[in-house]
Amino acid sequence: MTLFRTLERRIAVVFVGLLVFVVLLMLLIVARSGEAIILAESQRQLEAGARNFSNLIDRDQRQLELAASVLTGDFGFREAIATQDRATVRSVLRNHGSRIGARVMMVVSLDGKVIVDTQPLGEAARAFPFGDLLRAAQQSGRSGGVALMDDALLYQIVIVPIMAPVRIAWVVMGFPVEDAWALEFSRASGLDVSVITGDGAIQASSLAPTLRSALKILQLTALGEQPRQLVLEGRNYHAVALPFGPQARVVLLHSLEHSEAAFRELERILEIIAGAGIALFVVGSFGLARRIAGPLNTLARAARRIEAGDYSQAVAVEAPDEIGQLAAGFENMRTGIAAREQKIIRLAYEDTLTGLPNRIRLTEYLAGLDPAAAAIVTVLGLDRFAPINDALGHPIGDRLLQQVGVRLAGLLPPRGMLARLWGDEFAFVVESPDQEWARKFAASVLAALREPIELDGQRLDVSGSLGIAFRPADGRDMDALLRRAELAMYSAKRRQCGYALAGDVGDGPPPEQLSLIGEMRHALERREFVLHYQPKLALASGRVVGAEALVRWQHPERGMMPPARFIPFAEQTGFIREITPWLLEEVAAQAAAWRQRGMAVVLSANLSARDLLNPELVGLMRKLLAAHELPAAALCLEITESALMEDPALALSHLAELAAIGLKLSIDDYGAGQASLSYLKSLPVHELKIDQSFIGSLAASPKDAAIVRSTIALGHALGLTVVAEGIEVEADLKWLAAAGCDIGQGYFISRPMAAPAFADWISAHAAIPSI
Amino acid sequence: MADRAGHQSRRLTSPPVLLALLLAWAGAAGAASLTAAVRTSAGAPVKDAAIILEPTGRTPPPVRARATIEQRDREFIPYLSIVRKGTSIEFPNHDPVKHHIYSFSPAKVFEIKLYAGKSVNPVVFDKTGEVVLGCNIHDWMAAHVLVVDTPWFAKTGADGLARIDGVPAGTYRLRLWHPRQKVATPDRDLSLGAAVRRIEFTVDLTPRLIVPKPPLDAGGY
Repeated sequence: MTLFRTLERRIAVVFVGLLVFVVLLMLLIVARSGEAIILAESQRQLEAGARNFSNLIDRDQRQLELAASVLTGDFGFREAIATQDRATVRSVLRNHGSRIGARVMMVVSLDGKVIVDTQPLGEAARAFPFGDLLRAAQQSGRSGGVALMDDALLYQIVIVPIMAPVRIAWVVMGFPVEDAWALEFSRASGLDVSVITGDGAIQASSLAPTLRSALKILQLTALGEQPRQLVLEGRNYHAVALPFGPQARVVLLHSLEHSEAAFRELERILEIIAGAGIALFVVGSFGLARRIAGPLNTLARAARRIEAGDYSQAVAVEAPDEIGQLAAGFENMRTGIAAREQKIIRLAYEDTLTGLPNRIRLTEYLAGLDPAAAAIVTVLGLDRFAPINDALGHPIGDRLLQQVGVRLAGLLPPRGMLARLWGDEFAFVVESPDQEWARKFAASVLAALREPIELDGQRLDVSGSLGIAFRPADGRDMDALLRRAELAMYSAKRRQCGYALAGDVGDGPPPEQLSLIGEMRHALERREFVLHYQPKLALASGRVVGAEALVRWQHPERGMMPPARFIPFAEQTGFIREITPWLLEEVAAQAAAWRQRGMAVVLSANLSARDLLNPELVGLMRKLLAAHELPAAALCLEITESALMEDPALALSHLAELAAIGLKLSIDDYGAGQASLSYLKSLPVHELKIDQSFIGSLAASPKDAAIVRSTIALGHALGLTVVAEGIEVEADLKWLAAAGCDIGQGYFISRPMAAPAFADWISAHAAIPSI
Repeated sequence: MADRAGHQSRRLTSPPVLLALLLAWAGAAGAASLTAAVRTSAGAPVKDAAIILEPTGRTPPPVRARATIEQRDREFIPYLSIVRKGTSIEFPNHDPVKHHIYSFSPAKVFEIKLYAGKSVNPVVFDKTGEVVLGCNIHDWMAAHVLVVDTPWFAKTGADGLARIDGVPAGTYRLRLWHPRQKVATPDRDLSLGAAVRRIEFTVDLTPRLIVPKPPLDAGGY
């Protein structure tokens, strides 16, 4: 129903409908009870009027009798009557009769003979025509009644005696029953009075002529003293008929209109009130409904705007009521959603560290450009950022990146975008430049970076390498362009030439790396990873005291791959998390196997930063030791200096737990990173492995030799076992042994070997005690 | 005298007057007495009924008699008077208020306008017949005067008895009349000797119209 489709209409229609229903019901009830009341009231009035009328008639009769008595008591009248002179008597009758308005007068002898009659028709000495009345008068001294006279007119008749002082005769007086009479009684009784004789003639009536003739037509013979309703000229009356003398009846009419009029007036007023009430109610209901529904509509519009993503307009509904509260809720929701969406957009499209757009945003920006238009994608990679980060800590590294971002943003041409891709890589997308412009732009970027960046009073030299890819020459989509630009950047970095164009560098490294992740997963499942063990030789005793487990990948197509080819990548991608548990399990199992065969070698395994920070590591180690019934000291975990520096505090806490178990711990590649001595001092480690870069140049570089010598001294001072790895020539071995280095490791001693070969080698080595 | 005697017999019944009557008529032709007893058909004695003996064939000599009808306590006293034709009646007023006596009766129409004390002139009733007296200012006052042409009449007392004495023997017409008789009683002819005759009458009356008489006010009016 369209009528009810809006809340506004529904409210209004229901309200108004209910009111109209109630009002109509009320009017109907009023009308119906009104009719009943009118009928009852009219009937009551008629009955009262009829009683009143009878009383009036009686009183009138008595008054006439009294008046007649006074008249007949008049001495002159009596004297004249007593003269018996007809003419005189007749004259006095006329004269005195007129005094009280009697139209007809007669003198009747005591024996009932008419002596004198004022009516011209009257014959003297005839018998008095109304014997009943006379007898009644003889009985009670006087009488009265209603009778038709000879003139066919109805008279009210009074018979009184003439006393002189005894009754000497009767005087009969007739008062005409005519319209004036009817009107007088009508006024006195409040009813319409009509006198009808037996022949149906209306003798007198207070009715208007038309009504009178209408009344005459009606057959009223059935009408009695019981009120009945009748219609005259379309008007409703209640009627009764009362006997009026032997020959006539009085019909009393009460017009319902009198009763109706007041009621009609009441009804009219009620209708006006009802109409006005309904009108007011309609206006009021619509107003109220609008006040309720209006804000709701506003809210609905606001909700649709919010749905469409337009948060700009405030939800403006000012009301102190529930709707106001709802609106306030809407408004809060709007601002909340807007804020959250802003935040989401920022998170999605913004690099939180620098506040620059991120790679996704940059990709969208490029996609939003005219596909036909030329554009460049320039990738900037900072040189030597990792060492800075390692040395000065992440907070400094982050601030450095922020400063670089600020500096680069200053170079952004109007039609372009700068984004931070990840780590130390930034990228520009610039519209429709030519190669010449690109070269100049690259130069300006490099120039901008040449200025040192000052952080906390520390001047840091930053430099970077740029790779530039052109659209459409080097690719169309962002992935392709970024890859080309990155390759060019790496190329520039290798060649240290500042920047390189993608077109000059070519398509870049094989897609081998790209597929490595998937392959590594398969490798683990197919057991393509194998462990090789490189012996660790105690330089003083010449005995093999341990071995370092090194992972190799027996690639079905590419052959044996050294860890450097895939471990960094595994670390980058997080796949190391899966490799390490496997590796630790293998090492533990191998250690247990060899231990059973009497080979008491401590096996070392390398842990990446991720592994070290993994909170499950300690639990894993406990399980392995328990599962293989190994003493903790049978295993050694090697952690690089840089791995420790990623989160020194957490690393320290994990190391402490591992140490508490009893595992041996070793700092790997010591000297290549920025671990401070004080930090080193606090570490619960047992072994220090000097970075092989120092060992390889022992002979050539006296400085390195000095570093190694002092490092050995330092290690010993801290109570650590010092290990030198990367020993490739005998001279170095000898030098190290002489320098007091505890353990040596390197090709000169042995290459890493598969487990069976290692076992054989151990046997052989044991047979030849000194190398 | 006879007039007076009639009056006396009705009113005083004093032995000297009766004696005089007897003497007057008995001396002439011997005397008879008539006693009438009047009752209603229900047997109640009828008061104020007139008993009249009219001699047949002769007429008694006229007399010039006098009679009195008083007004006392706003009433006529007596209620019924029987007088001989030619009698003068005086209407002395003993009341402190005036009276206005009238008669419209054909036997004597007269009127004595408002007066107090003795009326100016006595009224001579010179025709036989019934005369009803009224007072124009006191409607309830009524008196009847029966004017006859015979000296022998009497009216019944409360016991319904009337007696006429000293009636000479002879033939008479006996009439009975009452002011409120319903039906006239037929006359009777009878001859009277020396004996006492007793005649019984039955007459029914209409009740006397009671015109209410207002009590006197504080001033006695």
